[in-house]
Amino acid sequence: MSELSNFMSHAVFHALAGLITLVSFMVVASKHPVKSAVFLVVDLFLLAAVYATLESHFVAAIQVLVYAGAVVVLFLFVIMLLNLQPDQLRGLRFNAPEAVTLILALIGMFIMIGVSVAGKPTGLGDGSLTVDAVADGGGNTYVVAMKLLTDFIWPFELASVLILLAIVAAVVIAKKDKKDQPA
Amino acid sequence: MVPVEFYFMLACVVFTMGLFGALFRRNIIMVLMSIELMLNAVNLVFVAAGRSIGNLDGQIMVLFVITVAACEAAVGLAMVIALFRKYGTVNTDILRLLRG
Repeated sequence: MSELSNFMSHAVFHALAGLITLVSFMVVASKHPVKSAVFLVVDLFLLAAVYATLESHFVAAIQVLVYAGAVVVLFLFVIMLLNLQPDQLRGLRFNAPEAVTLILALIGMFIMIGVSVAGKPTGLGDGSLTVDAVADGGGNTYVVAMKLLTDFIWPFELASVLILLAIVAAVVIAKKDKKDQPA
Repeated sequence: MVPVEFYFMLACVVFTMGLFGALFRRNIIMVLMSIELMLNAVNLVFVAAGRSIGNLDGQIMVLFVITVAACEAAVGLAMVIALFRKYGTVNTDILRLLRG
């Protein structure tokens, strides 16, 4: 790989990483859930861009379609259905237990970073499906689809059963019950 | 090529943000969104590690994680609607029946 393209891939990654960190914080810190949901869409798009830079084009497309397209729309629908009043919302507030939780979360983050930097992933599979091998074998989407519909056919079918169950469960749980009145 | 450790660090940061949100926010919808953030961090680790060792199983796993996350969001939000209908709030300071 030439010097320039190496520099460019680093520059793209660091720009995306900075944006993702910022937007993730905005998702967590925004006071109003609608703002958080919109920031979540931006975050999911940026992560799809990271997947694209990792040559995982199919995952990037599914990320945009399912996550940014469907899941966040579901969130927005529910937020608008509930119609929360401003006095029911609160942003971040730092009491003593919350400050302790923040410190513990940060310590956990540094431990995770240390562990993940110390040990590289090794020894899973034969390592034959490198980026170039996948490109020669018909492209990322083709190879992933072939694996999904041969080696992973049973999990794939079970996922459809899970989706059916989730549809039925969501309808039953959210069904209007005459007895339920706001307390 | 960007080293795989950088992707792991990014995933750790995003996961911590999600954990922070899930523990801090008092709105159940915000907690669900923070959980989505944590799942995305894990997906990033799957894809980056799979690429660095020349294996595509991580990407298959990500597809299943996305499926389960969509189901979880649908059922979780249905529960939020049912809770709001019954109690008129989505604040976890008030919904504390299971807090022990």
